[in-house]
Amino acid sequence: MKPTTPLLLAGLISLALAGSALAAVDDQAAKALGKRNDCFKCHAVDKTKKGPSYQKIAAKFKGKADAEEKIMKNLTTGPKVKLEDGTEEDHKIIDTKDPKELKNLIDWILSR
Amino acid sequence: MNKTALCAQIAALGFFGVIGSGTTLAADPAKINWSKIPATHVPLFYPGQSSYEWLRSDAHKNAAKEVKRGDSCVSCHDEEDAEKDMGEKLVKAGPLEPMPIAGKEGYKDLKVQAAYDDKNAYLRLQWKTQNDYPGTEHQYLRFDGKEWKVWGFPKLDKIVQDRKMIGLYEDRMSIMIDDGSVPGFAKQGCWLSCHDGQRDMQKQFTKDEVAANPLLTAIKKSDVRKYLPETRTDPLDWKTGKTVDEINKIKAAGGFVDLIQWRAHRSHAIGMADDGYVLEFRLSDAGKDVYSGNADSKTHAPKFMWDEKKVGYKSITVDQLHKGDHFLIREKNAVPFDPNAGWKEGDLIPDYITSREDAKGSAADNNAIASWKDGTWTLVMIRPLGLTNSDDKALKPGGVYNIGFGAHDDNITTRGHHVSFVKTLALGAPKGTKVDINAVKLP
Repeated sequence: MKPTTPLLLAGLISLALAGSALAAVDDQAAKALGKRNDCFKCHAVDKTKKGPSYQKIAAKFKGKADAEEKIMKNLTTGPKVKLEDGTEEDHKIIDTKDPKELKNLIDWILSR
Repeated sequence: MNKTALCAQIAALGFFGVIGSGTTLAADPAKINWSKIPATHVPLFYPGQSSYEWLRSDAHKNAAKEVKRGDSCVSCHDEEDAEKDMGEKLVKAGPLEPMPIAGKEGYKDLKVQAAYDDKNAYLRLQWKTQNDYPGTEHQYLRFDGKEWKVWGFPKLDKIVQDRKMIGLYEDRMSIMIDDGSVPGFAKQGCWLSCHDGQRDMQKQFTKDEVAANPLLTAIKKSDVRKYLPETRTDPLDWKTGKTVDEINKIKAAGGFVDLIQWRAHRSHAIGMADDGYVLEFRLSDAGKDVYSGNADSKTHAPKFMWDEKKVGYKSITVDQLHKGDHFLIREKNAVPFDPNAGWKEGDLIPDYITSREDAKGSAADNNAIASWKDGTWTLVMIRPLGLTNSDDKALKPGGVYNIGFGAHDDNITTRGHHVSFVKTLALGAPKGTKVDINAVKLP
């Protein structure tokens, strides 16, 4: 058997991890939480509304270690955020007491 | 065939003669092959009291600024099932629905198809009714042993809510059409016309307020109904009407929306839809409406009753409701009321009489055929092209219009309807123009 090169192995491991992370996202639960909290009034997956698209947010945080922490802060503390029209508004605080539900929503956003 | 369908087709025969009499033949709407015409599904939802004023208030969370700026409703409400979610929420008790109707649905799917030929535009609309009968009954005059009194009221009326009166009101399908002349309609549609102060809305008018209002007294109105913001000096306050001269100038510039209403009792009976417009009020077009009141203004007794020789009865009783077509049609089955015909307590005669023969002028422009089968209304509205009346929006081939839909269902009127966000309708969309509903040119 031909030995696997370290580079290929790293690639496979990375792919597997990415795959497991994506598979872990509960799409329906994330959408339901988002809908319940009116997230989609201001955000869409692939187009700019009052706020940036989820694809834009995911791209912005791609590869950044503090992505989850920063999005968590937006969703749980309601800081002032800059809207696409240049004005500012307090971000909506997501109404859930379930940290897993919140983490799932963040993972869903980051996987767009 | 049920009686409703039969009646509509008999009535329609009258207008086929009319539309076929010109030099250009119009299509027979009953024979249009609708299976060849694309359908658009338009979501309708229960809006409660979400008025023009409420949408601009802080209660409309994080959206007042955007609405005031003129953003479209769907710039926010475009997510999957947006209308369904909103309707099902708003139909229940809450800040926008102080008097919920038990069991009322919050959402309706409206299937829309459109076509046109050289003479007319044809709009085919299909929607399910909540009840297992067509809402063709409307309010009656009832003899109580001494006098005739109005009987049967819409379900939002307190007397019905208090279970002291039966809920009774005709089904209705309404469309508002703008040709681009009404500021804001392309973005916010029917919500421009729905205001606090109106019937069954927040801060409903009082009779004294109306009596003291210069505009409403000038146009001889005794309540507050739909109006466009441009007709008020302060669009957030119905009391601030502009002068009649100023409003006439807005009308002359086309700053009104056409309002076509098909009524399952008062226009369906004669194969028509009524023709009106919204400007400083919800107004009928010039001429004579397709229906009129049947109560004598002084005695409140009926002016007409059914012709017993033709229909087998001169009145009905409550046990006959929703069992057949109870239309009073002046030229077909009505005779002058006879006060000495041996009336008994509980006798019912329609409070409205309809007439194709009497309908005249701009108010009589629109035809319609409809049938109700297996819980679904199928309606074809027929609107002549190129109308030149000052109270009509002229439809023409290649034209693109903003259109809003509203369905009244289950014995209700005013806010108790299901409405759409504004859509675009084209009569043959110009190349490169994307519209929601594209009417197909008939061969």
